[in-house]
Amino acid sequence: METLGDDGIGIGSGGESDKERQEEAEQEAALLRDRLRLSVISMASSHAKTLGMTISEPVVACIADLAFKQAEQMGRDVELFAQHAGRKSVNMEDVILSAHRNEHLMGLLRDFAQELKGKEPCTERKRTKKALKNENKVQEPIEMLD
Amino acid sequence: MEENFDPDLIHAIFKLVWSRRNKKVEGNQGIHLEGGAGTSKKTRATTANASALKVSCELLRLFVAEAIQRAALIAEAEGIDIIEPTHLERVLPQLLLDF
Repeated sequence: METLGDDGIGIGSGGESDKERQEEAEQEAALLRDRLRLSVISMASSHAKTLGMTISEPVVACIADLAFKQAEQMGRDVELFAQHAGRKSVNMEDVILSAHRNEHLMGLLRDFAQELKGKEPCTERKRTKKALKNENKVQEPIEMLD
Repeated sequence: MEENFDPDLIHAIFKLVWSRRNKKVEGNQGIHLEGGAGTSKKTRATTANASALKVSCELLRLFVAEAIQRAALIAEAEGIDIIEPTHLERVLPQLLLDF
C-alpha cells in the first residue's frame, strides 16, 4: 500500500549515471548529517548542563536527526516562498515566514532579525526606536498555543 | 546558550535540497523542450543571503533548545535528572506541530 511517505525511490530512466549521482548525493547528505550531529551534541550537552540535567545519548542522536530533517524541510519551504515572491534569492523574511506555525517563535525570529539589521551601519534605512530598544531577552520555553 | 550552528553548514544543507529539486525540475523541463533548438537552459539555482542563513541558524538552534527544554520539564516532573527517550517521546508531537 502506497503512502505519502514513499519518496520517489525507483524513479530513474537515466540508468547508471543517475544511480551514481544519487549515491554521491546520499554520501554528501550523510557527511552533512554527521557534521550537524556534532554541532547538536555540543549544543545539547551545554544546554542540558545549564538546566542542571544530563541528556542520554539516544535522545541527542534523535534530536540531531530531527534537526537535519527540519533543516531540509526549511530549505524546501524558503525556496518555495522566494520563488512565490518572484525571487531567486532567499531573504530573511522567507525564513521568518517559514516559522508561521507558532506566533511566539515568529516574534522571536523577527526580534533576532531586527537586531541583525541594527548591527549593520551601511544598510541604514529607518532606524526605528523599536530596533534600538531591543535588548537581549532571556530565553523561556516557547508558549504553546491551545 | 551562546553556541550556534555554522551558517556554512546550514547553507550546504540548503544547497543539497535545492539541487535535488532543481534536478527534478530540469528533468521535467527536458521532456517539454525536446522539440526546440538544442539550447540547454539551466534553471538558475536558488541562493540565500547571509542574514537569511543567520536567521535559519537561529531557528534551528531554537528547535534544539526547545526540544531539550520541553523534555527536561517532563524528566523533572518525574523527579529524574537524566533526559530519557521516553521524555522526548512525550513532547515530540507538540514540538513538531510548533515548528
